[in-house]
Amino acid sequence: MTGGVVVVGYGNALRTDDGLGWYAADRLASDPRLTGATVLQRHQLMPELALDISAAALVVLVDASHTLSPGTVTVTPVERANDATTTWSHHLSPPSVVALAHELYGRAGDVFLVSCGVESFEMGDGLSPAVGAALPQVVDAVVELIASCAAEHRAAK
Amino acid sequence: MSTKIVIDPVTRIEGHSKITIQLDDQGEVVDAQFHVTQFRGFERIVQGRPIHEMPSIMARICGICPVSHLIASAKACDQILAVVPPPTGIDLRRVLNLAQIVQSNALSFFHLSSPDLLFGFEADPAQRNIIGLARAHPQLARDGVGVRRFGQQIIEWLGGKRIHPGWVVPGGVDAPLPAETRDRILSTIPEAIAAIERALAWYKSSLVQWEDEAASFGDFRSAFMGLVDRDGNIDHYDGLLRVMDADGRYLADRIDPTTYTDYLGEAVEPWSYLKSTYLKKLGYPDGVYRVGPLARMIVAGQLGTPRADLELDEFRRRLGRVPSSSFHYHYARLIDTLYAAERIGQLLSGPDILSPRVRSFAGINSNEGIGVSEAPRGTLLHHYKVDDDGIVQWANLVIATGHNNLAMNRSVRQVAKRYVKSAQLTEPMLNRVEAVIRCYDPCLSCSTHALGEMALHLQLIGPTGTVLDEIRR
Repeated sequence: MTGGVVVVGYGNALRTDDGLGWYAADRLASDPRLTGATVLQRHQLMPELALDISAAALVVLVDASHTLSPGTVTVTPVERANDATTTWSHHLSPPSVVALAHELYGRAGDVFLVSCGVESFEMGDGLSPAVGAALPQVVDAVVELIASCAAEHRAAK
Repeated sequence: MSTKIVIDPVTRIEGHSKITIQLDDQGEVVDAQFHVTQFRGFERIVQGRPIHEMPSIMARICGICPVSHLIASAKACDQILAVVPPPTGIDLRRVLNLAQIVQSNALSFFHLSSPDLLFGFEADPAQRNIIGLARAHPQLARDGVGVRRFGQQIIEWLGGKRIHPGWVVPGGVDAPLPAETRDRILSTIPEAIAAIERALAWYKSSLVQWEDEAASFGDFRSAFMGLVDRDGNIDHYDGLLRVMDADGRYLADRIDPTTYTDYLGEAVEPWSYLKSTYLKKLGYPDGVYRVGPLARMIVAGQLGTPRADLELDEFRRRLGRVPSSSFHYHYARLIDTLYAAERIGQLLSGPDILSPRVRSFAGINSNEGIGVSEAPRGTLLHHYKVDDDGIVQWANLVIATGHNNLAMNRSVRQVAKRYVKSAQLTEPMLNRVEAVIRCYDPCLSCSTHALGEMALHLQLIGPTGTVLDEIRR
């Protein structure tokens, strides 16, 4: 793939399971299956990420979810937000940051969100047992997604 | 019957707050207050912690300006160790502090305030946001992304991460600067300066549109305070305190910041967790003063970098030596950002910037330390007392937003009286009340710290609305 792969684990590592993205990013940064990917850790999705998204071929966002049951892992494509309405103060939603990449830089790579349901958002610097047990699954989901996209890209050539 | 209007929460600022506006029987505004509704309590949290942990703990106060707390805290610790960091260690701290100024100022101007300035305070809120900004003025939005990224990358390259970096430690910094990092930063400076200058050109061309707002967005006589060097020029990292009144006279000049308690008092009100700092000489609540970019442009003689000094000259030609309106924080913030980008280049071009001597080591040599620096929003003080083992016994933080609290409340009242009419209450009126707060770019996560006991008023109310019991503390 041209443009490279960017993985962004985001959340608050001092709010227990909300730090899932950071823990996943730590593992992915040293995962031999992901050589060449840029792995970032962020507290929130900020406008500056639009530049990375515009330059990448594939972007994988990793975040905790309070709507999924604890430990459940999902992979969903992120579509560009269609309207400009946002109550944005300091961060953007995944569709909004993709929209911003299009508005500012004319393009965005393919963007996916890997989510894992959480058990706790309480203060603390570790993961709950359910989310800790699901962490390898989250890491594998990211690796498999990147491998799958790379295979599709090669097949399309 | 009198009516109260509540704006809750106030948006596009750092932290949680609300504004109440009191109307009389005729629907005229009689009072307005800016309430900070979040509580942090770091002065208590750190009691019992060893001094070497303080910079890292204090950086956790804020996700926007952690570097400012890191630096003020490390400087307080320097005093407790009774050490002076090596010159290169000081210069590297300066670079990190200026990068923090850049990224935070960029967030405030480009991301939080420019939608109001581009579309106007009457515009549809659905348009008045960063996506709308990107569609209407993509160059300005791209410059915002670029300038903020410039500051954040420097923090990440020096400190290891963008938010809550380590690296700054008591006695200096914990690693020297690699040549490749210096070169990488230097290569990004020209584009950052170009982007800031484009924003300045756009802002100056649109300034005439905002004469009405400038005349009511906190337009009043007050003092201003900031750090200056021994020659009276700007100094964001170190230096001496200067307080200038509305006529340009010095109320205090080049005073040792460790004597701050001789000049500054701290008051608490029962309706806010944000302390109100005031000039003791003028008393409470008359001792209003302002800090931050506007104050820095006012109290400094010169800035000391060529492009920023040209802009400062023009700023003074346009607005006078002591502009009275807080609306001009925006203009001052851009010049402050330009200075920071230029100054980073100067510091990194110094002959000793790659020196391996970046840290002084010592044990506990003093039981008290006060660290002072200029944070993006203004003068920041960290004051600690420790026992002979270096365990923190007491801490006091005086935060930029606290210095500005009296001025912010006065500004909210002024804007409310100018724009809010109960008979025809509209969203643009309320937006202006919020926007005057954004001029100060308050950081409420940083600023809500207790002075003595937490202000608390607890009422036990029965089902009929009767107050059954109440406690005030």
